[in-house]
Amino acid sequence: MNAVEIDQVSKSFRLYHERNQTLKSAIMRRRRSVHEDFWALKDVSFDVPEGSTFALIGSNGSGKSTLLKCLAKIYWPTSGSIRYNGRMAAMLEVGSGFHHELSGRENIYLNGSILGMSKKEIDRKYDQIVDFSGVEQFIDQPVKNYSSGMYVRLGFSIAISVEPDILVVDEVLAVGDAEFQEKCLQKFRDFRDEGRTVILVSHSMEAVRDMCDHAAWLNKGHLMTVGDVDSTIEAYLGGKGAHGAA
Amino acid sequence: MSYLRTVLDSRELLMYLTLREVKGKYKRTLLGQLWSLANPLAMMVVYTFIFAFIFRVQPDPGDPSGLNVFALWLLCGLLPWLFFAKVVSGGVDSLVSNAGLIQKVYFPRVVLPLSLVTASGYNWLFEMAVLVIALMIVGAWVLPWLPLVLLMMLLLAVFAAGVSLLVAVANVYFRDTEHLLSIVLQLWMYLTPIIYPLSLVRNLSNDVGGLLGTPITLLDIFRLNPMERFVAVFRQLLYDNRWPDLGDLTFCIVSALLALALGFWVFARKEKGFAEAL
Repeated sequence: MNAVEIDQVSKSFRLYHERNQTLKSAIMRRRRSVHEDFWALKDVSFDVPEGSTFALIGSNGSGKSTLLKCLAKIYWPTSGSIRYNGRMAAMLEVGSGFHHELSGRENIYLNGSILGMSKKEIDRKYDQIVDFSGVEQFIDQPVKNYSSGMYVRLGFSIAISVEPDILVVDEVLAVGDAEFQEKCLQKFRDFRDEGRTVILVSHSMEAVRDMCDHAAWLNKGHLMTVGDVDSTIEAYLGGKGAHGAA
Repeated sequence: MSYLRTVLDSRELLMYLTLREVKGKYKRTLLGQLWSLANPLAMMVVYTFIFAFIFRVQPDPGDPSGLNVFALWLLCGLLPWLFFAKVVSGGVDSLVSNAGLIQKVYFPRVVLPLSLVTASGYNWLFEMAVLVIALMIVGAWVLPWLPLVLLMMLLLAVFAAGVSLLVAVANVYFRDTEHLLSIVLQLWMYLTPIIYPLSLVRNLSNDVGGLLGTPITLLDIFRLNPMERFVAVFRQLLYDNRWPDLGDLTFCIVSALLALALGFWVFARKEKGFAEAL
């Protein structure tokens, strides 16, 4: 059973030589703009097995973040399709949509509903969210008075409480102090033990090796290898070395 | 139709975003919600002074209510207009100012402009309640018309939502939209008989006669403006206390539904590209 099936996904962006975002230039030129297509992803296909912790690796500009954003439904593939078996939630940034003047409590409800939780669900998980974030003392204070650590901890706690079947994560694992990071990692392990699927992007091969069981290596928008984590990392490091030598 | 479903499914999100607008807006102000009354009241004082006392504009007394108070006559048209203007001028910016959110989280984007409709609607309800009380104090028999007034408010909200969706999408691609819009809204306000009665336009139109030899008069063109019809119906209900003109009412319903359908259609087609375009 696959949690996510990525089928022939391609994504192109328009590189504007002259970006005409004003009416004047649009009218003067009689057309929108001069551009060429840049393919950030080209015919990428692979499956993410259910219950796996799956890493997308590759050097900068390899298209892994674009793929992640496609998976998070923020970008729409130019062609190809992505199928999900289960509820997907993405954590690309924590605390998105917090309103600074509103209290922590109000922001839990606001942010939770942006992430797709119903009021009932948030009511049920409220104590758990506050507990995990460790900000209960300040929960009725406006979040603008929070320290940056408290801010991301609250954001992370809300996002993690969505408890999706498939969790898509950018490199946001490193939030808060060492103690909180350990709590986060534990949470991801719990996720895996509960049979949920986690897809993440990371540059730290140690973290990937430690946490993930599957990986896919992307290079310049093309899928190089996909499979179990050790052989993929080996291919990636080897490939990089070969490139470096050449 | 499937788009209405999306909106219904995200009604809780819409509620929290509305609360964000409503609560965030007057946080740390002494008068809080009362500030929402300040702007219409200030405009009422200025316009009444200029147009009723200096220019001596005299709208017909309410029929059959018999009311003859310029300030209240003005407010019956001004409050709906201000609501409409606030929704549209806030909505135009709603996607661009939430770019960070759009690029980081997936959620139905349509709730962003719609949350301004509900938040402004909440303030408008408050303003209209004050107006109704004032009308009752001077002796208008408004109570039986209140259900219809509420229905018209809903209809205007639908119209405003449709227009707001269109300008919000346009602004993602052409940032000129928001600057152009502030000028358009000013012109639109003066082309809508809010601070002067339609009868003045009718007199002018009768003097001019058919335009360019056609039977089409200035008044006909003037009345193509949906906001003119909305203002007329609000005045018929609140100021005159009578059944709204059927033609006006139909015009309002049709333009509201058309605006919303067009707004949803354009929004749904463009929504997938927002994260990149912003």
